[in-house]
Amino acid sequence: MLDLFILIIRYIGLALITLGGFASVIAAIGFYRFKNFYLRLHPLTINTIWGCVFPLTGISLLTITLEELGAYKWFMAGASFITALIVLMLAPAGSHAIARGVHKSRTARVKPCIADLLDKDLCG
Amino acid sequence: MIWEIVLFVSILYLLNIVLLTIIVFKGPTIGDQVLAIDGITYGSIVLLILFSIYFKEPILTVVAIPLALWVYALDIYVSKYLERGDLGA
Repeated sequence: MLDLFILIIRYIGLALITLGGFASVIAAIGFYRFKNFYLRLHPLTINTIWGCVFPLTGISLLTITLEELGAYKWFMAGASFITALIVLMLAPAGSHAIARGVHKSRTARVKPCIADLLDKDLCG
Repeated sequence: MIWEIVLFVSILYLLNIVLLTIIVFKGPTIGDQVLAIDGITYGSIVLLILFSIYFKEPILTVVAIPLALWVYALDIYVSKYLERGDLGA
C-alpha cells in the first residue's frame, strides 16, 4: 500500500516536471511570436507559473520518494517548495513593476494598438 | 526512467535559456530584455535543481533561492530607474 502511494507521488512529480519543460519552450517561442512588450508579459507568465512554480512543486514531490539522495532528500524537497512559494509571490509583483515602469517612461509603444485608455499618445 | 526524464527536461530548459538569450541581445526595448532575463533566471532555477537531482549534489539547491530574490530586485531597480531616471539613495 505504501509502495503504491510512493509510486503515485513519484509519477505526479515527474508529470509536473515534464509539463514545466514543455511550457518553458512554449513560453520561449511566445517571446518571438508576440508583437510588443505588453503582449510579451503573457509568455513570461507562462514561463513563471507553468515553467517554474509547477516543476518546483513536482521536484519537491519527486525528491521525497528518491532514496538515492539519502538524508538530503528532505532538504531538497523543502528548499524546492520554498523556492516555488517565493517565485509564486515575487514574480507577479516584479512583472507588474516593470510593466508600470515601461508604460510610465513611454519606453515601449502599444503597437498594433486596439485601445490604451491610460495614455492615448502611446497608441499606434 | 526517472533519470532519463530529468535529463530530457533539462534539455528543454536549456533550449528555453538559449532562445531567451537571443532576445536579451536583440530585444527591441529594454523592457523586453528585462523580461527575457526574468525568463532565463526562472529557467535556470529549475535547471539547477534538476542538475542537483541528476548529479545527486544537494548543495546545488541552495543557489536557487538567491536567484529568485535577485531577479525580483532587478525588476524593481529597472522599473524605478525607468520611472524616475535614477536609482535613488
